[in-house]
Amino acid sequence: MAPSTTVADPQPSSTTDSFNSNAAAENDIRPFYVLQKASSGSKPTATVKAKRRIESPSPKLAKKSEIESVEEEDGQFFSTLRLKVFETVWSKIENTIQDVLRDSNSKVFSGVHNWICESFESIRSSGALSLSEAVRSYPVLSQPSSKQLFTALVLTRNLEMVDDLSTFEDLGLHLKSQGCHVAKLSSMDFSAKNGVGGCLRGLLRQFVMPTIDVADVTILASWYRENGNQKNRVVIIVDDTERCSGSVLSDLILILSEWAVKVPIFLIMGVSTAHDAPRKILSANALQRLCASRFTLSSPAERMDAVLEAVFLKPCSGFTVSHKVALFMRSYFLCQDGTLTSFVKTLKIACLQHFSLEPLSIMLEHFCQDNQLPGEGTGLLTEATMKHAFDLPSVTRYPSEFTICYYFIRGHMLEELLVRNKITRSTCEMLPQFLLDLQRMPNPWSIVVLCIYEAGKFDKLRLLDIFCETLDPEARYLKYFAPSAILNSQSHVSGRNSVIRRVLRKLRDLSPAQLSSLLKGWESLTAEFSEINEKVMELHPFMRNVEAAGQRPGLPTSPKKHASRSHSKLEKELKAMTDKISAVIEFMLREYMKPVETVPFNEILCFKNVDKLQSALLGDPRGRIQSDLLESHSILNCLCCSQRGTTLLPSVHDTSILYALAQEHADVINLHDWYQSFKTILIPRNSKAKSKSKTTSKSKKRKERCEEPEPPAEASVQARFCRAVMELQIAGLIRMPSKRRPDFVQRVAFSS
Amino acid sequence: MEDIDNIEEDEFGFSRNYFLAKELGGSSKRSARKLSDINLVDEQELRETAFNIETKHEKEISELMNEYKTMYPKWVFELRCGFGLLMYGFGSKKGLLEDFASSSLTEYSVVVINGYLPSVNLKQVLLAIAELLSEQLKSRRRSSVSLAKGQEAFPSRSVDDILSFLHGSQSEDKDCFICVVVHNIDGPALRDPESQQTLAQLASCSHIRIIASIDHVNAPLLWDKKMVHKQFNWLWHHVPTFAPYKVEGVFFPLVLAQGSTAQTAKTAAIVLQSLTPNAQNVFKILADYQLSHTDEDGMPTEDLYSASRERFFVSSQVTLNSHLTEFKDHELVKTKRNSDGQECLNIPLSSDALRQLLLDLSQ
Repeated sequence: MAPSTTVADPQPSSTTDSFNSNAAAENDIRPFYVLQKASSGSKPTATVKAKRRIESPSPKLAKKSEIESVEEEDGQFFSTLRLKVFETVWSKIENTIQDVLRDSNSKVFSGVHNWICESFESIRSSGALSLSEAVRSYPVLSQPSSKQLFTALVLTRNLEMVDDLSTFEDLGLHLKSQGCHVAKLSSMDFSAKNGVGGCLRGLLRQFVMPTIDVADVTILASWYRENGNQKNRVVIIVDDTERCSGSVLSDLILILSEWAVKVPIFLIMGVSTAHDAPRKILSANALQRLCASRFTLSSPAERMDAVLEAVFLKPCSGFTVSHKVALFMRSYFLCQDGTLTSFVKTLKIACLQHFSLEPLSIMLEHFCQDNQLPGEGTGLLTEATMKHAFDLPSVTRYPSEFTICYYFIRGHMLEELLVRNKITRSTCEMLPQFLLDLQRMPNPWSIVVLCIYEAGKFDKLRLLDIFCETLDPEARYLKYFAPSAILNSQSHVSGRNSVIRRVLRKLRDLSPAQLSSLLKGWESLTAEFSEINEKVMELHPFMRNVEAAGQRPGLPTSPKKHASRSHSKLEKELKAMTDKISAVIEFMLREYMKPVETVPFNEILCFKNVDKLQSALLGDPRGRIQSDLLESHSILNCLCCSQRGTTLLPSVHDTSILYALAQEHADVINLHDWYQSFKTILIPRNSKAKSKSKTTSKSKKRKERCEEPEPPAEASVQARFCRAVMELQIAGLIRMPSKRRPDFVQRVAFSS
Repeated sequence: MEDIDNIEEDEFGFSRNYFLAKELGGSSKRSARKLSDINLVDEQELRETAFNIETKHEKEISELMNEYKTMYPKWVFELRCGFGLLMYGFGSKKGLLEDFASSSLTEYSVVVINGYLPSVNLKQVLLAIAELLSEQLKSRRRSSVSLAKGQEAFPSRSVDDILSFLHGSQSEDKDCFICVVVHNIDGPALRDPESQQTLAQLASCSHIRIIASIDHVNAPLLWDKKMVHKQFNWLWHHVPTFAPYKVEGVFFPLVLAQGSTAQTAKTAAIVLQSLTPNAQNVFKILADYQLSHTDEDGMPTEDLYSASRERFFVSSQVTLNSHLTEFKDHELVKTKRNSDGQECLNIPLSSDALRQLLLDLSQ
């Protein structure tokens, strides 16, 4: 292992630099090197670290998160266990998401497959060819329609390609499993640089042999004829058509269509903008050869709702997020990214952070595996973890030990559990039981949310919005049920966008058919939860009344007068029905709308630290690097620089001084002026006279006495100026002088 | 909703600052003072002094480093969970990353790529990583010898083949991976789209984890969404170190040095060392000519070709041109026309520097 210089122990003077091992210096100028090889032996780091921390509990370490405090005690054991549990939980979530996506695409996939089968039959019916005929260099031309290339245009409805990569991969797998030969080409294969030869070569490599290096379409034809491949269909998938080079794609289409009779190829093109996108990129010639069918995938918002439902509202891993985190994820999805991929990544980061911040998160393992008591035999429920559990804010914020147990009452004497500072053996045994109940209990909150979603579908409400709003632990929904609230709804600014209000308002506009389908939806959603189900069942007589009233005006011979009377009767019944439905909603909200954050011990399941999530997901180099420079003293925590407010002191980091000075300039900075003001900061005027007599000032002691530094020599100031400018250039904050403007640098970034 | 407001406010602040700066430039007259008004010290002295500048706040910086040390276990955890770490913030992060790798990643092989250098050959890097991995896999299961046979000839393979080997599922052990530390993944040699694509493909391999640093404020523009979310899978960490950019800065000119665009002998030597021996020899011929004909404008290209061909350093004009392009790209050589109208090649270094350079090269 090569020794490396660390910044933690810098070598300031040249003597130590030469002392510094040559290997490290040599490594610095090598393009790459192997720093170390894996040691398959013991794992010394964790134990050493743990020891060091126990010996010197400095105040800085004390403020660190719980991960370290646990690490101190059990080090490696917990981090290994945590990793294992993270993997279990995350693979459960990931599989769930994959299943949801597969389901949402399955209809389109089987549609594509059927289309392939039908088209294939139509080709075969026009007559098969013998081998000698097929590999002749001139294609047989029996009829003009034989030059058509069967093409499926799959509209992804997604401007960003990243979500669809996996969709098309799945489509490829699906078709392969049905016995098709599938090759996948991306826009990278259709580059103008490689031309049509490049993508033909790519095709042959995927179909015929991976080592092939010629681009000859006859190889494809003979491959197709020789190996009995003609029973199977040949499919080419191009996933991002819009990004391909139009001319290359057109060429490929022309070539393939010439050979369409001999090698019936099916082209599947993913388009993200509109079905007519090929018209914009392909040549007219190529367009004529396409015999296109259209397919449409579900939109990202629809997929998003399906994923949310499966991950958070149906039993999945147990992991969940707080209101603030959900809001952040929503705004990230809606305002910045709009792709499911990034949403999944956000979720994974949240999950990871949860495991690294919350020691008790390892209990989540048992939410993934049924019928197993947590903590058994794993040594997990130590006194320390128990103490930690009872110090969670969700437990301590309850003043009375009795109120807390309300939500979990399942015949246990849970009051006992909460008598703080009195953790007995029995409570240790009860916590797992407690969690098991939490796991088994059909979660009424999610049922209520899904019921609202069902009702909101008529108003095209998104589950994402409903989910975010219903997670709010401080929301008061019942205010919408006060009669005055509905009447004065226009004036209520705060609740204008409330989903509950929108649902209540929409109820009045629903037709009998819609009401009936809503009722059916609710019935199946609440089937496992009898308390709500009973209330839903009570709606049926009202529904029957509505239906009965609705049938009467349907009679063709009924006189007008009668019709209007029955119409008013229908309205009356409808009103009764909607009133009753809103009463059921009120009941559900009042009794069961308990978001996860109001539940004790929710910290075990629920990730809350939105700041950490945001900073890990979205680095902001542009803003942060500038603020590093402008507020260097607060990051370095030094006493000498932060004393005098905003004035620049000579002890401040050189680059910080220079960048602070740059703020006073316009978009171009005169180097001379910049240098002079830099010099004035480093050599305050009163000491200037002194400095002239001194020629050498390698002041070693300066750092000890930041207040009165010895003024540096001219050479030193210039060197420091140069280095600070260079560092600003590395950070990309300035552009160096050009030939046209040799005395100016240009500011590139403007801070906020 | 708050987030949106904040973003809008930030953007507003940004544009306001920009226009303020523009306005300032227009209304008040630009200062016309010249750099030459400063009593500039000799370039040699400037370089020496710049090399030996003492670091301010060493104590605070080392405390900052110690604070980051406490995060090492968390970073290891994140790596093991399949994320790539991206470090940013002001200050050189070279020391921090290497300290992290050598103290916390002892169980894993670590390869370091110095992205701040002007030329990095990624194929060679991939080869080294693939060899390391196959070695590691071999030692993990010594019993199965048959596996290793097919993988001996890495150098003959293409980049795609190497990547597919790295991505393969030779080992079920999820925790068997090689850590690749990339200093300045936004560095000059790696800034082109092809290099970033290759790095992204490397990062997405199941046996690879990337720990990288960026210094440029616009570095994220190098990546599209696929690279960020699916391949690199970045987790951002803001770790300002305020440590001096000692090695990273070698290739940047000093703004106050006269003829600041000129290369120094040292940087030239480093660039030359990364080139092939033949290219180095061609450069030596040029340098010798320049030293012996100090009064001329430079060596005519045809003369260089015949001299190089005589000594079998180049076989055709095409090879010579490719060497020359390399030299010109790194500003080792400049072309101008002499009085006869011939194209001449000239090394923009003083004779002393050139002698020193030749000395360095021959060692």
